[in-house]
Amino acid sequence: MSYTLPLSECTADRAELVGGKAVGLGSLLRVRPEEDVPPGFVVTTAAYRRWTAERRLEADLERILRELEDDPGDAALLAASRRIATLFERAGLGEPILEEVGQAYAALGGGGEVPVAVRSSATAEDSAETSFAGQQETYLGVVGVEAVARDIIRCWASLFTPHAISYRRRHGVALDGAAMAVVVQRMVAAEVSGVMLTIDPVNGDRSQITIEATCGLGLPVVGGELTPDRYHVDKVTMEIRSVAVAHKPFADRLDLSSGTVRRVELGEEADRPCLGDEEVVRIAEVGKQIERALGGPQDVEWALGSGPGGGRHLYLLQSRPETVWSRQETAPVAPPRTTAMDRIVAMMVGGPRARPGGPADAAGPGGREGTGRT
Amino acid sequence: MATTVRRFPSPFEIQTPPGAEGWESMYPPYILFSEDNREWEEGRFWFLDSLHRPEVEYPFDTIVHEAWNSAASELVTRTLAVPVTNGYVERILNGRLYLTILPVPDQKVVEERVPIYTRRAGHYFENWADLFERWRGKLERVIGELKAIQIPRLPHLEDESVVTEARGYSTGLEMLNAYQRVVDNVFLVYQYHFELLVLGYTAYLNLHQFCKQVFPGIPDQTVANMASGADILMFRPDDEVKKLARKALDLGLQEVIRADRPPAEIIADLRRDPRGHEWVAAFDAVQDPWFHFSSGTGMYHHERAWVDDLTVPWAAMKGYMERLERGESVERPVDQILERRERITAEYRALLTTDEDRAAFDQNIALARLVAPYVEDHNFYIEHRHHTTFWNKMREFGDRLAEHGLLESRDDLFYLNRWEVGQVLYDMVYSWGAPGRPSRERYWKSTVARRKDIVEVLRAWPAEPALGPVPPDLNEPFTIMLWGLTQERVEEWLAGAGDGAARELRGYAGSPGVVEGTARVIFSPEQIPEVEEGEILVCPITAPSWGPVFGRIKATVSDLGGIMCHAAIVCREYGLPAVVGTGRGTKVIRTGDRIRVDGNAGVVTVLS
Repeated sequence: MSYTLPLSECTADRAELVGGKAVGLGSLLRVRPEEDVPPGFVVTTAAYRRWTAERRLEADLERILRELEDDPGDAALLAASRRIATLFERAGLGEPILEEVGQAYAALGGGGEVPVAVRSSATAEDSAETSFAGQQETYLGVVGVEAVARDIIRCWASLFTPHAISYRRRHGVALDGAAMAVVVQRMVAAEVSGVMLTIDPVNGDRSQITIEATCGLGLPVVGGELTPDRYHVDKVTMEIRSVAVAHKPFADRLDLSSGTVRRVELGEEADRPCLGDEEVVRIAEVGKQIERALGGPQDVEWALGSGPGGGRHLYLLQSRPETVWSRQETAPVAPPRTTAMDRIVAMMVGGPRARPGGPADAAGPGGREGTGRT
Repeated sequence: MATTVRRFPSPFEIQTPPGAEGWESMYPPYILFSEDNREWEEGRFWFLDSLHRPEVEYPFDTIVHEAWNSAASELVTRTLAVPVTNGYVERILNGRLYLTILPVPDQKVVEERVPIYTRRAGHYFENWADLFERWRGKLERVIGELKAIQIPRLPHLEDESVVTEARGYSTGLEMLNAYQRVVDNVFLVYQYHFELLVLGYTAYLNLHQFCKQVFPGIPDQTVANMASGADILMFRPDDEVKKLARKALDLGLQEVIRADRPPAEIIADLRRDPRGHEWVAAFDAVQDPWFHFSSGTGMYHHERAWVDDLTVPWAAMKGYMERLERGESVERPVDQILERRERITAEYRALLTTDEDRAAFDQNIALARLVAPYVEDHNFYIEHRHHTTFWNKMREFGDRLAEHGLLESRDDLFYLNRWEVGQVLYDMVYSWGAPGRPSRERYWKSTVARRKDIVEVLRAWPAEPALGPVPPDLNEPFTIMLWGLTQERVEEWLAGAGDGAARELRGYAGSPGVVEGTARVIFSPEQIPEVEEGEILVCPITAPSWGPVFGRIKATVSDLGGIMCHAAIVCREYGLPAVVGTGRGTKVIRTGDRIRVDGNAGVVTVLS
């Protein structure tokens, strides 16, 4: 077993092998009970490298990319991307990787018929460009090992979207630096799903947890088809600071037996909050705990679905460090070596000042909100 | 470039309600809008001080805010040299109090004041504990002096000792002198009131602003919670009532005390009973100061204190007796509250990312906690202890005037302003000295009668929330803290947010938590016994002396009050959600309505 790894073995020192998403899931498994993370495995970058080597794809890849002109247009990029995708799909997964994937998939239960999500897990070298390049692929409701194998290859092919090709050319990233891991994880039939940031994305307020939620699967929100409900929770007191209920005319629901996703009209439910207050607080509590355990603000994907003990169980689908505010050097609000008296006088004479790098500095309406979301 | 100045009506456009003609005569001329100062007055933004003065001004009761607005102005401008404020100016219009805040117009003056203010305010902060101790001494003295003022009866003949001891002056002069001393005493107590309060609020505000910068979403009440004192004097009266309840049970007096008779009669009977005697001794021992506790804010003459009217504490005591008999705890969870305060403070601190901010946070918290006991307790000394005696002293003058036929009854005195009370007392004393001299008895009596009608008419006047042009930047920290006046609030007024049909009310988030329940709307402390276990209290203003009721309600909604109002403090201490300053909760909500109180967002929703 060297081409797949259980999620629990995905540690940060293996980031190059398993990618960021798998590291996030591995971290979650270390700080949360096992049943909170849907079972799954990762197909490593070693598998990708072995596969491209074995199928002799490097030469073709290099040729296709070399044929692109110095400043290729969108059409040329798209054509190259499509050629690579076709090339990949025709190659098929093959042994020994297919066998390992088959075993790991069978171990997820359901007699080889369990619906899974197949998602790309980008490596560190690539991660800076990933969100912007849109190469984070997600396939939901995938059933059967053949389909899983097909979607793993599609994830690999997403290394070569027009954007990614263009980005690599402009930044001189060598082709052998590009590799992709793929996470295969059992699906949750989400009644509600959403994301949570354990920091305010608008102003970097570390005392605020922001939760966005929609009914059913989260895909329509990611795709911009729906506005989610938004809840702000005080990270210290766990009081709900504010609730903004959005109009959500439909929900995408997964049928667990067939793995198909159906779009359902919500009717009266459309304008109701999709989370109860207690659920909001429960999700926020978990976010706070994860942040503490992992040592910094987190960006968490979650879903509520029927759990082992009945009732709505909170599943954690991804967690990664928040990067926009947390990595930024924050200048102190208080100038160094000031006394309370100095600050009182400054407050009176100057009025309240915004934190440097705060809302006043954020670029345009909405500021930095929403960046980096996949 | 010409810009449109948005404005509320000019004070000079406001009509006198029919039937209230001549209302201006109730107040001294300097407190009225006038043609003399029209240009200046029309150029300023005036807001209704509904937070401190929700009612139509009784002519005499204006003494309280005259004393406080002049004291506060003198302190900030002449003593502390606060860099940005030149004081607070008040006007009465149709019986309602409006204020404007004077900025320092000249940047040069601001700069001159900075070092002076830094030094003077710094002195207070550095020596706070000592100066607060001295303040308590001053307050004991000023309250003692007020109590010691005798309001004499005018004798038919002066006592022999006036001659033998060669006193040399009359009891009539003593009467006039007593009145002067009472007035001076009130003005003095408000000087003391602000001596520490302005600085206390400044320290709170400093913490508040810092927290809002580092944690933009932090709720106001969380900041207040982090700074709040461990135990508050305001709760002592309630605690004493609990002790009396326990003692009554220990002595087996529950049947006697529960009897459906006036408390005063029950106490009189208990005095004659050996077991009862022990209870009454305990009761007597706590009267001063703990029952010198107003059933309202203490700032109006008609709000009676517990010593004057036992309705509130008596109902509370019976409630505590029942709960004790059921084996329930009646204690406030002081330790839990304190522990929570420490946890919250430590957790917020841990979220800070730089050493500088952690150092500033620690300093700001320490300073806010240093001043917290004063901010939280000063009302007890002044509006409760001092004013209980003050209003009763004034009633004694009223008694004399009624005895001498210048007024129909004692409380009529409050329909004369503080200068006129000096006049009517002089008129009385002069006629006492010169029997047969007719006093202006008919003038005083007819003036009072007319004013009673005027006050009734003015009560129905829908006061404008503000007057004059809206200033460009309203978000001045002190104005927000003292009057809850924000740009947002003014926008609501401008939009005419007085829609009576609205089922959602906005106010200040006074104390966190969200609950749903049945509303009980009450308008006066006499109605407190109507409040049932688990109801949500809806009232014009939740005075601290209503403390006992907080043990059996789920949440509070008040028409008036801001984040630092007494009610918000009480609710936070009891861990109850509160939305204060809704403006019209008692008008929109009916007893029996199902309502949702969101003490985090400051919103009340009428559900059904």
